[in-house]
Amino acid sequence: MNPYLPAVAWQSRAVLGRHLRVHLRNWYTATLPPVCEPLIMLLAFGVGLGGQIGALSWQGAQVDYLHYLAPGILAYTAFMSSFFQSLFAAYIRMHFQKSWEGQLTTQVRLEHVVWGEALWSATLATTYAVLVCVVLVGFGIAGQLTLHWAWLPAAIPLLFLAALAFSAIGLFFTAILPSIDHMSLPFFLVIMPIGFASSTYFPLPDVPALMAVAQLNPLHHLAEGLRALLLTGTLNWHLPAAAGLCLLLLAVLIPLDMRLLRKRVFGDA
Amino acid sequence: MTGEIPSRAGGEVLLAATGLVKSLGGKRVVDGIDLTCRAGEVVGLLGPNGAGKTTTLRMCYGFLRPDAGQIHIAGHDLASDGDRARRTLGVCTQDDTFDSEFTVRGNLVQTGRYYRPRQADLSARIDALIERFGLGPYANQKPETLSGGFKRRLMIARAVVHQPRVVFLDEPTTGLDPQARVAVWELINGLRVDGLAIVLTTHYMDEAERLSDRLQILQAGRVRAAGLSKAVLGDVVGEHVVLLSAQAPQAAQVVQWLKTRGAKPAQILADWHVALDAPGLAAFVAAFPELRYEVRPPTLDDLFLALSHENAP
Repeated sequence: MNPYLPAVAWQSRAVLGRHLRVHLRNWYTATLPPVCEPLIMLLAFGVGLGGQIGALSWQGAQVDYLHYLAPGILAYTAFMSSFFQSLFAAYIRMHFQKSWEGQLTTQVRLEHVVWGEALWSATLATTYAVLVCVVLVGFGIAGQLTLHWAWLPAAIPLLFLAALAFSAIGLFFTAILPSIDHMSLPFFLVIMPIGFASSTYFPLPDVPALMAVAQLNPLHHLAEGLRALLLTGTLNWHLPAAAGLCLLLLAVLIPLDMRLLRKRVFGDA
Repeated sequence: MTGEIPSRAGGEVLLAATGLVKSLGGKRVVDGIDLTCRAGEVVGLLGPNGAGKTTTLRMCYGFLRPDAGQIHIAGHDLASDGDRARRTLGVCTQDDTFDSEFTVRGNLVQTGRYYRPRQADLSARIDALIERFGLGPYANQKPETLSGGFKRRLMIARAVVHQPRVVFLDEPTTGLDPQARVAVWELINGLRVDGLAIVLTTHYMDEAERLSDRLQILQAGRVRAAGLSKAVLGDVVGEHVVLLSAQAPQAAQVVQWLKTRGAKPAQILADWHVALDAPGLAAFVAAFPELRYEVRPPTLDDLFLALSHENAP
């Protein structure tokens, strides 16, 4: 069976709808962190730390730290939110709440559960990224930030694609982690290396080995591409590179996730 | 051996599983099982732990793919016409798998959303189920606030929210007190009266005897016996069971005599149990006229005991 077709099946939408309904019942508490986090980061690091370190050199130009940070936070939000949702929250639903097992005794099959989880993680992460955009606009209105605002909506579809790919990584770890006690491992082994080797919070040092590794990191390309788009209004090669790497991740990981989760959930190869 | 045994129910065959085979972890846990169930019939699937009951059930409701064999639900092939087959079946798993994020009513609504075509007038259907299953006072509470008995009621209500034709109940009363078990039995009987085909696994012998029109006994992944309760017991155990106190003065001599005649006495706590056919019982009575003992019809407990002896090395 084609592992990608269930993405558009009604069963995957039913699973997505279930997660959306649960989230909307707690929207006021659920919305607080994604609004507060970028606000605090922009104030503490962009304004506070930025005031101390002054301007950074980026692509031969001088950019103050708040402007450097703003597109990075946007990319990091899509990455972190989808990874967390598809790893931690999905694991809870699979292992402790047994909501997957309940779904799998209906017309919903495992491939729908996997796509439902991935689409939900990407939807939520994109929503959070939109909230970050709102915060950025607030900084713009306050005169702190000047971006090419017209490009902001254009970044949303790419953020969704990136979040979908990151959720496929999260589901991979959901499938292989032996227990919730091991949940910190992917955070230390995956989240932190990807997050730091990505030009989201600071420019990567000019170390050839590090730069070579960063070329394989979709978050690095996403951050650099969004930075070029929002700071200079130009579309550079980083955004197609980010899209290509994300599509590659989806192509490889979604079938693998399904195979591993089938083994995990059903005890069946 | 097939499961095609005449039963009280004469309805349409709604579950037809043939030649089911499944290996898990390199071990063959189901090895050529046939299982049928008709409209308005309850089939009890029994067997010791590891006999393959839950694996068989999981294959029949589409949770596991069989390595070999075919499953038809209400005429739909589960392998090639899975969506339609799944639309006509409902499942109550051994563990509670309701969605803890929703209320009792919310669970039924959400489950209804996992089926297409959608249940016509789902809201009215849910109201009717809530009333029928006695869930009215708890409709707006979270499932974790319910007692064990009401949790099982919710699980069964959820299994039938989309009006399936075949229902699988995997140990539906495990862990319930006697009063709650009787209440669940009445609900299951009501579903049978409605014309549903019901396949039930249980460890409770009285439950299997009371609810099931037919029994299918599994042992080591195969059907060991199938049919009406009394016929199954007669085939596997024997017609009579003799209970003799292990403290009786002649006990050792009696046990030795039984063994020489091919009987298999088993000591359970303070008693020896031995199954005998009518000629065997007559010979026993004649051989030990002064002995005090009890004779009773066999039960499913005796059946399990007999099966465990067959399995013993």
